[in-house]
Amino acid sequence: MASSVDPLVVGRVIGDVIDMFVPAVTMSVYYGSKHVTNGCDIKPSMTINPPKVAIDGLSDQLYTLVMTDPDAPSPSEPSMREWVHWIVSDIPGGTNPTRGKEILAYMGPRPPVGIHRYILVLFQQKGPLGAVQQPASRANFSTRFFANHLNLGLPVATVYFNAQKEPMTRRR
Amino acid sequence: MPMAMAMPVTTDCGSGSRWSMVSLKSALPPLASSIKLPCRRRTPPPRTRSPQLVRSFSALSPVNPLHSLGFSDMSSFGQNFTIIDNGCRFFAMRHGRRVPKLNRPPDQRRALLRGLTTQLLKHGRIKTTRARASAVRKYVDKMITLAKDGSLHKRRQALGFIYEKQIVHALFAEVPDRYGKRNGGYTRIIRTLPRRGDNAPMAYIELV
Repeated sequence: MASSVDPLVVGRVIGDVIDMFVPAVTMSVYYGSKHVTNGCDIKPSMTINPPKVAIDGLSDQLYTLVMTDPDAPSPSEPSMREWVHWIVSDIPGGTNPTRGKEILAYMGPRPPVGIHRYILVLFQQKGPLGAVQQPASRANFSTRFFANHLNLGLPVATVYFNAQKEPMTRRR
Repeated sequence: MPMAMAMPVTTDCGSGSRWSMVSLKSALPPLASSIKLPCRRRTPPPRTRSPQLVRSFSALSPVNPLHSLGFSDMSSFGQNFTIIDNGCRFFAMRHGRRVPKLNRPPDQRRALLRGLTTQLLKHGRIKTTRARASAVRKYVDKMITLAKDGSLHKRRQALGFIYEKQIVHALFAEVPDRYGKRNGGYTRIIRTLPRRGDNAPMAYIELV
């Protein structure tokens, strides 16, 4: 029984990846024509290209977007928690990540086993970040550590979706 | 004057064209004791009463043959159909029954739950209907408790339930680290959108 109704708490996004925060900015994510809501199912075949992310906010504010998967390689044994898929920084408010600086190139979800959660976290920057070092490897990434390292504070917006490996042949 | 039956009392004979059952009822043997209502008593009713008219067929046919004539004075429906089923232990409601039947006979139900627990332990998170998810919690918790114990006997009990032995061995290897401190509640259910084909309420069940 969930003690809270917030889908981020129910899906344990808050707790596994980030801490409790107050949403300050609305962010809408679209894969193709599908709008991503918390906990919805998206097929990996639709996610090979980066999504369209519309961030509203003041245009003089800069934002950082991080996409991770805390259930890598399998939700029952997440030994590589988290696997980072995409990092973009210096996104001006009111636009999308194409206007920002891509620190880590987008890699589409490819869940090998089980149903994985893919979380897009948006942080508000206090100032331009300048040169940010790429993480050494995509595995064992920590969003909290990354945010502390760059002094980003708590997130301002988060959304997550589920994806699982599609069967090889089309199901009749 | 249609008086085919006995005419015991002369009071109501000529009261008009309408029948009154009062005179007939007083003449015939008493009715109330022979109808058995659904009751909790398990002992058979005592046989010391005076023998009634038709005791053995009280379930299907009316006790009093006059009822079949259809006189409207009696409330005929309640008297005609007494339901007797395995010794008075019949209830129309599900009060207190806690086993989820999942619309399947017992062997299929067991196989379904075994399959679901195997898949949940293998994949970590599965999507299924809400009724199945809440039914499988008990079995997953049992398997994790067996793994926490860790002895050979418990391992063989787990091998008898889970379909794939690799999963049992992996479970026994990692459960002490992962769930050593947690007492129970090893799963979490998250409700989600209904299924498109039949609008069945769905849920994710995952290992905590």
